[in-house]
Amino acid sequence: MRLAAVDARAQALGLGPGMALADARARCPGLATLPHDPDADRGELDRLVAGMACLTPMAAADPPDGIVLDITGCAHLLGGERELAGRAAELAGYTVRHALADNAAAARALARYGTRRGQGGEDVHALPVAALELPGPALVALRCAGLYRIGDLARRPMAGLAARFGEAAVAGLRRLLGETAAPIAPHAAPVPIRAEARFAEPIARTDDVLDVIEDLLVRLERDMAARRIGGRRFVATLCRSDGARRRLAVETGQPVRDPATVMRLMRERIETLADPLDPGFGFDAIVLAVPRAEPLGTRQIELDRAEASGDSVAALIDRLGVRLGAEHVLRMAPRDRHLPEKAQALVPAATQDRGFSPPFAFRGGAGGGAARPARCPDDGPHPNPSPEAEDLSASCFDLAPVPRPLYLLDPPQPVMVVAGVPDGPPQRFRWRGKLHEVRLAEGPERIAAEWWRARGGHLPGGAGPTRDYYRIEDGAGRRYWMFRSGLFEERPNPRWYLHGLFP
Amino acid sequence: MPDLAAGHLHEIHAGEEDRAAAMAFALSAIRAGNGKAPAETPAETLAEPLFLVRWRSGSCPAVLCGEGLAMLGLAPARLVIVEAGNELELLRAGLEAARCPGVGAILLETRGRLAGYDLTASRRLALAAERTRGRVIVLRIAAAPRPSAAQTRWSVAGAPSVPLAADAPGWPAIDVELLRRRDGPAGGRWRLEWDAEQGSFRETGDETAIPGTVVALSSLRTGAAGGRSFDPRAA
Repeated sequence: MRLAAVDARAQALGLGPGMALADARARCPGLATLPHDPDADRGELDRLVAGMACLTPMAAADPPDGIVLDITGCAHLLGGERELAGRAAELAGYTVRHALADNAAAARALARYGTRRGQGGEDVHALPVAALELPGPALVALRCAGLYRIGDLARRPMAGLAARFGEAAVAGLRRLLGETAAPIAPHAAPVPIRAEARFAEPIARTDDVLDVIEDLLVRLERDMAARRIGGRRFVATLCRSDGARRRLAVETGQPVRDPATVMRLMRERIETLADPLDPGFGFDAIVLAVPRAEPLGTRQIELDRAEASGDSVAALIDRLGVRLGAEHVLRMAPRDRHLPEKAQALVPAATQDRGFSPPFAFRGGAGGGAARPARCPDDGPHPNPSPEAEDLSASCFDLAPVPRPLYLLDPPQPVMVVAGVPDGPPQRFRWRGKLHEVRLAEGPERIAAEWWRARGGHLPGGAGPTRDYYRIEDGAGRRYWMFRSGLFEERPNPRWYLHGLFP
Repeated sequence: MPDLAAGHLHEIHAGEEDRAAAMAFALSAIRAGNGKAPAETPAETLAEPLFLVRWRSGSCPAVLCGEGLAMLGLAPARLVIVEAGNELELLRAGLEAARCPGVGAILLETRGRLAGYDLTASRRLALAAERTRGRVIVLRIAAAPRPSAAQTRWSVAGAPSVPLAADAPGWPAIDVELLRRRDGPAGGRWRLEWDAEQGSFRETGDETAIPGTVVALSSLRTGAAGGRSFDPRAA
């Protein structure tokens, strides 16, 4: 474990990136650390780059922790280079160091290795050779040769440097000196995909509205095909002449740009509207936008149309999702959890894709009864209600070493049971007013509560009741899965629940 | 025993407590109909999805268990669960899935009378199944049989299993009865038991006799009359 980044106070104490955590702790016992999250760093950097759009249109990220701004022709708009630099530091909101130079590589080197910290007027030639950012051995070789500054290198013939220290040293040097180009790839805000139609005379018939939406879709299809993307969400905004706006949104499980597919979904959406489209005095504009798009290449059509069946199933899932709600067309996903009812989750089928796996996300409250995992009525309070999406990491259902039921009752049904104390199997039980005599029984299979999830769960009784599962068969030849919630030493009179049905 | 052929509509009746048995029978029929081993590659598992259309809620809400499905040899990733809010939506969703090529099988899990499921609705389902060569199975839990266009109609109930060691409940065992069949005589009861080695249900009672234990009786009695042996060659 090593330190990835430190703050100013830690730096004052002599800590620095790359130092072993144990060494740092030995030097400074009260050190507070957090795990390094490179993805979050990248995201934050992208956010900062997007925020620089008000200074210059040519802003690029310089990973891991820099931003390059091409301010050619922009500085005078803000009153000069110094003011612009101040404004950029203000926008960033962090402790920053900046440098201005004629090219991006030199600016980067000055900002990172310069000694005058943004005072300006510093020369690239005065920088240490470390500014070339060469691998360790090459740097050592340079220093051994008595070359400490960029200026020392710049005075010497390039051919000799290349022969001794490698091509990379010369390439880096030429970039720093501005002899070769050091281009940046500026961050460009994506152009929104939208099309709109305005009418001289308002239109009122639903069929006309659909025709216009189809025309707009054909236009967008061309736009999306050129960009090689397909839409996952299409929103049509109908602007009524009195100013009211009506939105029609459809979502698809796969990126699509085929107008016919989207039109089918749009028709379905209009049919299932709770209150029908009210044109009033007519719509005078229709705007179609694609707020969510994903890469979609062109595809070869198979001669035997083998591709068609997979597509038609995806289209069917989309259609059913539009009609019944996407949270009612589900797929089973295994979860990395311990309790039987939490070991699986039902996720919207449209979010599960073939080519790539986007992060699973539950829509708040929309999951209905089924998407939420069952909860045993006397599981006790859960002090640590974690988001349910976190542990959809398991990739497939493992074959359990012991039989598992085909149906899980959700929630488990309380039953009256006569059973031996302390851990005898049930002898007879009453469920829904009917008495069942137990003929065969197997158990207990003890499943502990997830003590590592609850706060204080490692303390005795802190995690909730332990479950003892029994597989039983009654006299009529039906097999059940029931459990006693809690051991006799945990609670005085543990209750029994029926949790599953075996075939 | 006739199978639940593809391209047809089948009905399975079961009591409230035998729904797991009915579901296991339907799933094993779907699996046997595929005629191939359980899919291993993700591409194959998604190739032929299985649609389960069911009520959104009920008096005794139960969800299928992925591990239990895997035990019956069916990849849970194949399953697409459609939850309909009412009877009409359920039949419409089932019909639409049946009309879609590329859907391996459609299971409609219904309870109670299901007034909308009449001759017309079942005929539509049967025609859709015929066209796409899919298999449509209607599970009718706690419902009385009604005239319909189904190819076969079954009644399924749980059966006592053969105990394992230490009086543990054994492998799944079900009683099935063929109530009706369009292309042949109905009737017939079978006791099916899960065969863990083959991964399918197997009829009990047709085990081949273990050779060498019992000598087969001759069809001709020897020494019947007056103690004389009967020589077939002399006759």
